[in-house]
Amino acid sequence: MTNLRQFSAVFIASFKYCWRNPVAVAVLTAFPILIIFVLGNALSSYMSPDYDFEPIPVAVAVAEESGLQIFLQNEEVLKFLDLTFTDAKTALELLENDDVTIIIEEGEDGKLIVTRPRTAGMNAQIATSVADSYMQTSKAMEYAIINSSDFHEITELMQILNADISVTETPLGKRVPSAIDYYAVTMLVMILLYTGMNGIELFNKSMFSETGERMLTAPVSKPVLISGLLSATTLTSYLQGLITFLFSYFVYGVYWGERIPLVLLTLFGVTLFSQAVCIFLLLLIKNHNAAMGAAQGIFWTSTFVAGGYVKIDFGAVQQVFDYSPNSLAHTVIFGAIFGGNESKMTFDLCLLFAYTAVMFVITFLLGKRRLA
Amino acid sequence: MLLEMNDTVKRYRALTALDHLSLRIQPGETLGLLGPNGAGKTTAIRILTGLTKADAGELRLFGKNVGNKGGGAFPASVKRRIGLVPQDLALYETLSARENLEYFGKLYGIYGAELKKRVDETLEVLGLSDVGKKVPKKFSGGMKRRLNIGCAIIHKPELLILDEPTVGIDPQSRNHILDFVDEINRQGTTVLYTSHYMEEVERLCSRVCIMDAGRVIADGTVGQIAKSTIFEEMITLKIKEPSPSLTESIKKVQGVINCTLEGKKFTITSAVGSGNLPRILEVATPYTILGVSAQSATLEDVFLALTGKRLRDGMDGGEAS
Repeated sequence: MTNLRQFSAVFIASFKYCWRNPVAVAVLTAFPILIIFVLGNALSSYMSPDYDFEPIPVAVAVAEESGLQIFLQNEEVLKFLDLTFTDAKTALELLENDDVTIIIEEGEDGKLIVTRPRTAGMNAQIATSVADSYMQTSKAMEYAIINSSDFHEITELMQILNADISVTETPLGKRVPSAIDYYAVTMLVMILLYTGMNGIELFNKSMFSETGERMLTAPVSKPVLISGLLSATTLTSYLQGLITFLFSYFVYGVYWGERIPLVLLTLFGVTLFSQAVCIFLLLLIKNHNAAMGAAQGIFWTSTFVAGGYVKIDFGAVQQVFDYSPNSLAHTVIFGAIFGGNESKMTFDLCLLFAYTAVMFVITFLLGKRRLA
Repeated sequence: MLLEMNDTVKRYRALTALDHLSLRIQPGETLGLLGPNGAGKTTAIRILTGLTKADAGELRLFGKNVGNKGGGAFPASVKRRIGLVPQDLALYETLSARENLEYFGKLYGIYGAELKKRVDETLEVLGLSDVGKKVPKKFSGGMKRRLNIGCAIIHKPELLILDEPTVGIDPQSRNHILDFVDEINRQGTTVLYTSHYMEEVERLCSRVCIMDAGRVIADGTVGQIAKSTIFEEMITLKIKEPSPSLTESIKKVQGVINCTLEGKKFTITSAVGSGNLPRILEVATPYTILGVSAQSATLEDVFLALTGKRLRDGMDGGEAS
């Protein structure tokens, strides 16, 4: 009974402490909402047919019949871009003469290359964003296709894109993701990873500062103290993610599919994992600021890689990234939204929770040494 | 004996923070622990509160051998009887003063009406009743310090350990804190008080331990330590028309070690406790005495005599104190 009352005391006070930290709340709740709006909604809105827009001159140097070319020749895209298909050399001359705003090329490794002057203005930014949206959308569709038993060929994706970029239903009754749908998932997973910072902040305050000394001299057992702190920081973090989720759903109209409980469970797994990693880093480094820095570095890199911004061709390395917690979460969420392979989704979700459990065991063992 | 620390050693690599330190505190006592930075005061407190593991030695609290594990591993029954006021503020800045007190009260097993009563009492006695709903980050330094103490006494500990609780605050708040510590001691709480401020220790403490380099170099009341450490007292006598013969007469008074004349001022050095001031004045009666002052040894003098340095010399220096 005493343990339960002490647990609830630690939990309530810590929860209030976390929520009343204006910087953490602003950074981890308001900022992601803003970013989803700016990055995702901006892309979606300029693709609206109602938007009166003078097409932006763009030089394109890509292989014929490539996915990118098919995408760019879509009538919706052509409302915004005035395309000149040419070779790389001519494209550069056009850019130098200010005849085009940017050059879009496809590299040998399939990477998208955008060339634009350093002083490029708004139009260049918009044109770049269209090219970027191709990458984002195809990445999202790639998830859907790889993980779906209904789709098998990448060409189908191109057919869908070519038919109408703004379609909302595929022949199989599934919605094609728009840029904001993709950004919302990436951003939500990323911020839930970042909410591990709540854990660093709270554990540092309650166990390693002067306040921590006071806590350790109080007649409360360490398991009760730690579980109270962990519950508070996990709930705080999850609620922050949930606010972003609800905002994206109701305000931005992001499509989260029909299996929302599975999406939320996956997001909970990410939240727990990030807490475990962050507390581990704090115990390992024993310095609040350095632990924050390390966590940011890890999560930023992981998001960058899982988000498909870089392509890694070394098989083993790519596999490592494919099985990174961030990537697993993406796979499960996209699978839940767009219909993925059930057994792979189950496996990935279990793996995410297994990683979390392992991290907690390691953190617990390290904590026992550090706090002795 | 309420607290008994025997032959305790603590080393941090090459640095010996505590060098066979022994401390004892009787119930109801106010013990002042004095020493410059690096003397080992905070290390001693960390071991006394179970935060740090000693390399060697024995610690008994409330008659129990509490072991030597560190990391806050004292039995809960012992922890309930101790209150710690750390050197820096140990508060949750985004919780109100009342919430901070309630939180720490609950950790010590106080709930419901009893908790509310104690929180009200604590806010009242610390002069924080009007700001109970405000968060500490809006407080002055002195108010934060008072709340810091409040969180340590909400459970009415038998032993209150205060590690330099008045650092960096205004004189009014300092007086408030000193009065409070004095009062709580009068109500029966045993107090272990560390400070850089001699006047605080002289005012509050019935006994003083002076630490240097991890050891106790003097232990007793201020008077006892002064007597055993300072062997000379100084008397200054101002005479209207002094003569050299008076110097010789004063030198002959029992207990006088030396007497010098400079202008109209005689500076007389006497053995501590010789009580020869009336005899000196008697010798000087034929002359017109303009003024007399007798300066007895202060704790500062004692500290200087014992360690060869002023107490606050180390304040800019080392980390382990």
